Amino acid sequence: MGEIVIDHLSKRFGKLEALDHLDIVVPKGSVFGLLGPNGAGKSTTTRLLCTLLKPSFGTAQVGEFDIIENPVKVREITGVLPEEGSHTLYPSMSAYQNLEYFAKLYDVPDEEIYERIEELLTFMGLWERKDDKAGELSTGNRQRLALCRALLHKPEVLLLDEPTSALDPVAAKRVRELILSLAKKYKQTFFINSHNLSEVQRICDRIAIIDKGRILLTGTTAELREQLHAKQEYMIRVTGDIETAKSIAESHHFVESVKVGVDSLIVTIDDPFENNSQLMKDMLAAGVNIIEFAEEEASLEDLYLEILSGGGD
Amino acid sequence: MARSKSMIVALADIRMALKLRMVKWSLVLSAAFGPLMTIALVAGPALVLTGPELELITSFMVPMAAALLAMFSIIPATMISANALVGEREQSTLEPLLCTPLTDNELLWGKTLSSVLICSAILVLGTLASTIGIAAILLVSGKQLIVFPDLPGLFMLAVVAPIVLFGVVSLMIIISGRVQRVYEAYQMSGAIIMIFMIPMLAPIISMESGAIGTSAIWMWNFVSFFLAVIVAVVTWAIAIKQFNRDRMVSLV
Ligand SMILES: Nc1ncnc2c1ncn2[C@@H]1O[C@H](COP(=O)(O)OP(=O)(O)OP(=O)(O)O)[C@@H](O)[C@H]1O
Ligand SMILES: [Mg+2]
Repeated sequence: MGEIVIDHLSKRFGKLEALDHLDIVVPKGSVFGLLGPNGAGKSTTTRLLCTLLKPSFGTAQVGEFDIIENPVKVREITGVLPEEGSHTLYPSMSAYQNLEYFAKLYDVPDEEIYERIEELLTFMGLWERKDDKAGELSTGNRQRLALCRALLHKPEVLLLDEPTSALDPVAAKRVRELILSLAKKYKQTFFINSHNLSEVQRICDRIAIIDKGRILLTGTTAELREQLHAKQEYMIRVTGDIETAKSIAESHHFVESVKVGVDSLIVTIDDPFENNSQLMKDMLAAGVNIIEFAEEEASLEDLYLEILSGGGD
Repeated sequence: MARSKSMIVALADIRMALKLRMVKWSLVLSAAFGPLMTIALVAGPALVLTGPELELITSFMVPMAAALLAMFSIIPATMISANALVGEREQSTLEPLLCTPLTDNELLWGKTLSSVLICSAILVLGTLASTIGIAAILLVSGKQLIVFPDLPGLFMLAVVAPIVLFGVVSLMIIISGRVQRVYEAYQMSGAIIMIFMIPMLAPIISMESGAIGTSAIWMWNFVSFFLAVIVAVVTWAIAIKQFNRDRMVSLV
């Protein structure tokens, strides 16, 4: 059984069907990534899961609790980083006071509060700034603080809405590592909304791509990667006349498509083991100076863009 | 346990309210203005008048001052509760707060307590300051002592005012589910205060048309009392019933 089981979850705002019969299962201790364009319904999903919104139809289980029947229990075992988390702190309270307030509301035992806050703030590199007002911290530091707040009570389930959106690359990396280690060590389950595809590819075990409130694609990251490798894309970097290279590539029947960049071509090749060498030979013979011929790293981004452009109804 | 969670919320709200300059100064002003006005109304005539004239004036002024003092202690509640709910939504801190395991009851109690605690403090301290101030002025100037508050006044301050306070706060909770900005809540709160102002201050209005007896004062005190009880009970029930996380979050 999953730690989060989303069952025909739907949410309507007036006439708008923001979520339309969503079904997702997230196993315990795994990291799940929800992807989708602006307005797809990602934040609506997390808001339903943390019981802020009531579903118009369907329900979900978080841990052993139903979001409609047992909302207080659901909130007890979840940690939430709301969308634009950096704006959700009390600006006139210090970093420490912000966390202390929520530690009390989440029933962290009094004698553990200080230690817990120190540990988290130290990890996020904010301990020296614990007495600064949250309103005086930079956006990224406030986002880190909001993340600390979500982790305070060691929740079973974490709902993170764009956790690294405001973070610099080093901080984002630390957060990714933290997520992975918490999932592994403490079997905490993560449900992450993101626009950052390479990040999702790196840390999520499973993903779903949604648009207009519906799931377009779902699976484990490994499965999706396999799907991607069915396509055989190669990058050919050349110096000099790129147009000649392009026309040679296009003249071969086994080249399915050619995209031209500044100094390189991206070609899709049928049966590359058979045909790559032929293409290379012909280009060299025509005087094209090839400096690189490499298999394109298939990324989630390609799949994402393809699904959202091609799959549209 | 439930109550203590509410207390955590209330104390945090108070701490935050006191950090807002506008709220802080209006609290200080209304806390100071109530007793100053009371002292002026009650001790003032005693310094210049004597005999039956003074007796007549005092019989009006003492209960009227009590009603005014009560009003001035309650007005800050609208400001604190507006900030506690609409203000949190406006600065987008309401969402994480609603994500905590607080139940609706705990949350609403907390939001109510913050106003009730501050206003009760203003009420008690204001009454004490008035009592002592009036006594001190009259003693120093060698006049006859006037006891403030008198019995109807005490009823107004100790019984009616706390219930009105509660009613005002629960009306503010209902309003906060319907407006988007703190200033809108402030504006609506004017209307709320009016509802209670009329019966509480009714003795003053009838005084202008001639004499007023203790019985009239008692009558209006009871009208205020019953009105407050009804409003408080009904609005609290509505507030609890209507309170809805979905609505609080969706009203952006
Ligand atoms: N409270 C609300 N009232 C009305 N419509 C809403 C409300 N909240 C969200 N919506 C609508 O629901 C749809 C989904 O919104 P949601 O915030 O879930 O998108 P998202 O996937 O998180 O987008 P983004 O990537 O921009 O954060 C949008 O069309 C949005 O306008
Ligand atoms: Mg969003």
